[in-house]
Amino acid sequence: MEISVWSGWLAGLAIGLFVILHFWLIGKPAGCSTGYGNVCGYICKKMSFYRQGEYSQRNNTKLWFLIGIPIGGLLSALSSPEPWHWSFDMGMYEEILPQSDAAKAIWLIFGGMLLGFGARLAGACTTGHALVGGAMMNPPSLLAGAVFFMSAFLMTQLLFNF
Amino acid sequence: MNHESKNEPHNTHNNSHNKPFIESAKLTVISFVYAYRANILGLLMGATFGFLMSHAGATTFDYHAKMFLFIDFQLMKVIGTAVMVSMIGVYLMKKYHVLAVTTGMEVDFVKKPYQKGLVTGAFLFGIGWAMTAACPGTVPAMLGEGKISAIFTLAGLLLGTMAYGVLQTYIANNGNYADAFKS
Repeated sequence: MEISVWSGWLAGLAIGLFVILHFWLIGKPAGCSTGYGNVCGYICKKMSFYRQGEYSQRNNTKLWFLIGIPIGGLLSALSSPEPWHWSFDMGMYEEILPQSDAAKAIWLIFGGMLLGFGARLAGACTTGHALVGGAMMNPPSLLAGAVFFMSAFLMTQLLFNF
Repeated sequence: MNHESKNEPHNTHNNSHNKPFIESAKLTVISFVYAYRANILGLLMGATFGFLMSHAGATTFDYHAKMFLFIDFQLMKVIGTAVMVSMIGVYLMKKYHVLAVTTGMEVDFVKKPYQKGLVTGAFLFGIGWAMTAACPGTVPAMLGEGKISAIFTLAGLLLGTMAYGVLQTYIANNGNYADAFKS
C-alpha cells in the first residue's frame, strides 16, 4: 500500500498543531499505549490489574482515541493514488525478516510483545514520551525517548548490517 | 444507534409529543453529542492522529529503516518539527492559563513520572520498534491502511500489555500467581 507522504517539515508542523489541539480540546496529554490497557481489561474480564486504579473507568477518551486511529489510516489510504487493498509486503524489511509468512507473523508477534511490555514498563510509548513528553520538556520522558531511539538504532543496525 | 427512547421521558414530561419529528431528532442528537462530547472528540482526535501519522510516513516501513541507517531523515524532521511547534504551544497555553473545551478546567499538563524499569522498558520497546517498524500509535493506522503485518503486531502488543498486568499483580501479591486473574 503506497501512501502519499507529505514533506517532513509540513507533517511535523501538522502533528505539532495536533498535539496543541489535543491539549486544548481534551485537556490532557495525548497518549496511545495506555489505551491498550483498557482493551486488555475488556478482553480479559478476570485481569485485575487492568480493571482497577486508572483502569477502573475503561470507557474513556483514551480508548476512543485508539478506536479513531484506524479510521484516520483508512482515510489516508483512500486519499492516496493506489486503490485500497490488503498487503503483507514490508518493503526493505523483506530482506531481513523470515521468508515464510508464518515465521514472519511469529516474528511480528514477538516484536509486538516487546513493544507492549516495554511501553508499559517505561510508562508510555513514542507518542507519550518522545512527542508529548518532549513538548513538555519532562526529564524522564526525554530519557525514555533517548533510550527508545538508541536501542532501535542499535537493533536496526544489527538487523541490516551484520 | 437509537438513543431516542432514552431521551423520551424528558420530552414527554411537560407537553407530550408536541415537537415535530425533525426537531425532536435534532434535540436528541444535540443531547447525545453533549453527553458523550469527550469520547466523540477523542474518536475525532484519534482519526486526525492516524491520518497525520500516515501522511507523515510513520506507517511506511521503509522510513523507519532509512532513519536508523542514516539514508533518509523524514521521520526525524517530522518528530523534531512537531516537538518544537508543540513546545511553543505548551508554553503559550501555560502562560495564558487556557481552559480545556471538554472539562472547562485549566489544561492539565500532567507529566509522566520516573518509574522503576523505565530504561529497561524503553530498551525493550526500542528492540520491538526495530523488529516491527511500528509503534503503538501507528499500528492501528497501519491496520486501517490494510497492512496485514499490523494484525500480528497488534496481537503481540496486547499480549505484552497483558503480561505486564500479570507481572504487576504477581509482584503486588508477593508471588501469589492465582490473584492475577481474580475478578
